[in-house]
Amino acid sequence: MPTILVVEDNKNQQLLYEEELQREGYTIVTAFDGKDAIEKVKEKPPDLIILDINMPRMDGIETIGKILSQHKQIPIIINTAYGSYKSSFMTWAADAYIVKSSDLSELKDKIKELLTNRPKDF
Amino acid sequence: MTEETVTDKCMEHDQFKMIDTLRNILSRSQGMVLDEDLTEKLDSLCQSLKSSIKKSDSAEGGFSQDTETGWNLRNLQKHKGRERRKNDDIMDVIEAGLCLLDKDLQIVWANKTLGDWLALKESPLGRSCKDIFHCDETGIDSCQALKVFRGEEGRVLETWITTKAKKRLCVQRIAIPVTNRKGIIENVLVHLEDVTESDKSLHWLFLLQKLGEKMQGTLHLDRLLRLVLTCVTTGHAFGFNRAMLFLVNKEEKVIRGKLAVGPSSMEEAIRIWGEISKKYSSLEEILDSLEYDNDFDETFTHMTRQMEYMLSDTNEVIVTCARENKPILVVNAADDPHITEEFRSTLGVNEFVCVPLIVRNESIGVIVADNIYTRVPITPDLVNVLTMFATQAALAIENAETCKRLEDKVTQLTTTQQRLIRAEKFAAIGSMASYIAHEIRNPLVTIGGFTRSLTRFHFEDAKIKTNLNIILDEVIRLENILKNISNFSKPSIPKKAASQICDIAENTCSLMENYFKERKIHFSKEFAPDIPPVLAISSQITQVLFNTLMNAVESMPDGGDLTIRITLIEDSIKIDVVDTGTGMSEEELQNIFDPFYTTKSEGSGVGLAICRKIIEEHGGKVCVNSKCGRGTTISLFLPIH
Repeated sequence: MPTILVVEDNKNQQLLYEEELQREGYTIVTAFDGKDAIEKVKEKPPDLIILDINMPRMDGIETIGKILSQHKQIPIIINTAYGSYKSSFMTWAADAYIVKSSDLSELKDKIKELLTNRPKDF
Repeated sequence: MTEETVTDKCMEHDQFKMIDTLRNILSRSQGMVLDEDLTEKLDSLCQSLKSSIKKSDSAEGGFSQDTETGWNLRNLQKHKGRERRKNDDIMDVIEAGLCLLDKDLQIVWANKTLGDWLALKESPLGRSCKDIFHCDETGIDSCQALKVFRGEEGRVLETWITTKAKKRLCVQRIAIPVTNRKGIIENVLVHLEDVTESDKSLHWLFLLQKLGEKMQGTLHLDRLLRLVLTCVTTGHAFGFNRAMLFLVNKEEKVIRGKLAVGPSSMEEAIRIWGEISKKYSSLEEILDSLEYDNDFDETFTHMTRQMEYMLSDTNEVIVTCARENKPILVVNAADDPHITEEFRSTLGVNEFVCVPLIVRNESIGVIVADNIYTRVPITPDLVNVLTMFATQAALAIENAETCKRLEDKVTQLTTTQQRLIRAEKFAAIGSMASYIAHEIRNPLVTIGGFTRSLTRFHFEDAKIKTNLNIILDEVIRLENILKNISNFSKPSIPKKAASQICDIAENTCSLMENYFKERKIHFSKEFAPDIPPVLAISSQITQVLFNTLMNAVESMPDGGDLTIRITLIEDSIKIDVVDTGTGMSEEELQNIFDPFYTTKSEGSGVGLAICRKIIEEHGGKVCVNSKCGRGTTISLFLPIH
C-alpha cells in the first residue's frame, strides 16, 4: 500500500484527509508543519507528499527544497487555500498544485495519477 | 549819439535777445511735444517782441521834422529796414512754420519755412488761413485760432502735410495769442512744429505697449501665435502682407513652421483686406475678433507647416537668424547668396524680413514677414520695431508654453494619482479578499469534506440525508463565491506577445557586461540576421537567458570565453550559450534540470529547472552538451509559431 505524508497544520483538515485517503486504501502519515515533515521523511520516505504552503515554523516552499534535495524522486502535491502561489517559480518544483476544496476528488485523482506514473519523470 | 539812438540800440538789443531766446526754445523743442509751459513762454516772448516793435514804431512817430531829425529818421528807417530783413532772415531759417493771423483769420505775416512746408506758390499774405491749412476746423467752434481769440487754449493738433520737397511731415500746430499793450488779443501766432520723428516713435511705443498687453494676456498658445501674426499683418499695426512663424524644437534640433497669416493670392488679398476694413475700424476690434476669421490662411499655414530646417543647416536664412539672434532684412533674394533657391521659391518673394524670437539670449523661433502683394519696401525702421515686438512676442510665447507644460503636467499627475488610488484600492480589496478567502476556505474544506463523508453512511431517518445534502450544497455555493473572489485578487499572468529574441538577448547581455568583465570572461555575441519574432513572454525569456549565462559564468571560476549565438534552424530559433568552463560529468548532466540539484556551494539549484519549465511552456526544448574540463553548450530551442 503506498504511503502518503499529509503535511497540514489544521487538525480537523488533517483528520479529514486521513479518513478520506485511508478509505482510498492509502497508508497515511501526518505532519503538522515543514520541520515535522522533514523528520517524518527522514524516518521513512513516503511514496507521495501532500503539502500545505502556509504553515508555522517552516513553510511549504522551504520544505519542498529541503525534501527534494534529499529525495528528488518523491512526488509532491501542493494543496493550498491560496491560488496565488501558482505563479511562483519555486512551486514549479512540485508535481501538482491543487487549490483546496471540500470536494477531494481532484486531489484523489492527482494522487492516483502521480503514483501510477512512478518513477517520477522530471 | 542822441538819446533816441541809445534807446533804439537798447531796443534793438532787447529784440535780438528775445529772438535768440525764441530760437533757443524752438531748437530745444525740436522733436518734443510742446507742453503748456513752453507754449506760455513762447506766448510771452512774442508779446514782448510785439510790444517792443510797437515802442519803436511810436518812437519813430514822435520825431520833429527838422533836418537833423530828418536825417536821423532816414537813418533810423534804414536801420529799421535792416532790422526787419534781419528778423525776416531769422524767421525764415527757423525750423518752424510761423504765421500771424488777424481777427478775420487772415494771414498778416508768414515765414518762408511755412511756405515751403505747405508748398505755397504765392505769398500767403492777405489770404484766409483756411485756404492754406485746408483744415476742417476753420470757422467752427473747435478752430484753434478762434479759440485763442476767445481767450481759450490753442489746441495742439497733429496733421500730415507734404512739403515742396515731397517730404511727408507730421506737424503740430500751436496757436499763440499776441496781445497789444492793453492786453487785448489782436493777433494769433500759429506755430507749426515738425514732429514727424517723435510722433512716429510715440506711435510705435504706444502700439508696442498695446500689443504687449494683449499678448501677455493670452496664455493659450495657439491663440497667442495667431495673435502675434495678426499684429504683424494688420494694417493698424505693422501692416505686412504675410507673416509666418517658426518655432525651434530643441530635442529634434529643427526649426519648424507653425502658423502663417496672410492671403494666399492677390485676389484673396483684395477680398480679405476689403472685408477687414469694412468690418473693423481699430486694432482692438481686429485682435478681439481673432478667433472668428481664421478661415482665410489655411493654404498658407499648410505651406508653412511643410517648412522644416535642421538647426545645423546654416545655409538657411531662418537658421542663421535663429542662431545669430539678429534680424535679417533681405532686399533681393534672387541675388543673395545667403538665401537658398528652395526657400526663395517657397516664399515666392524677393524682399522679406526674418526676426528672431529671443528669450534669455536664445532664439525660440523666427518670424518671417513680407509684402508680396503690395510690394511696399521694408524699411530698416520697421525692422527695428518689428524686432522689439518680436522680443515681447517671444516672452509671451515662452509664458504660454510654460503654462501649457504645467497644465499637461497637472493633468498627467491627476490621472496618475487617480490611477494609483484605484490601484491601491484594488490592491487593498485584493489582499483583504485573498485573506478572507483563505481563512474561510480552510474551515469550509473541513465542513464540506466531513459532510460529504457522512453522506456515504446509511441513516434510518431520511431527513438526515436531506439535511446533509443541504449543508453540502451551501458549502459548494460558498466555495464558488470564494473562487470568484480569489480570481479577482489574483495578479494577472503576463500574456505572450511577438518578441524579438535578439533584442531580449542584447538587453540581457548589456546588463551583465560589467559582471563578465569582473569575472575575466571574454564575451562575444553572434546573432544571425533576419531572426523572426516569436510569441513569448519577454520577462520569462530574460530570466532563462540570465540563468543560463550565470550558470556558464559560474562554471568558469578562472575566466574564459563565453559566446551567445542565435541562429535560425528550420522552424525554430536556436540560442546557444557556449562556455569554456569546467564542464559536467555524466551524472551531473543527468541531474542538472532537477530542481534543488546543485554542485555549487551557493545557489538554490532551481536555475536550470526554471529554464526548462519556461522553455517548455513556450513549446520549445533545452539540450545540453558538455565534456568534463572542456566546457558546456546549452542550446535553447524556441519554435516560430
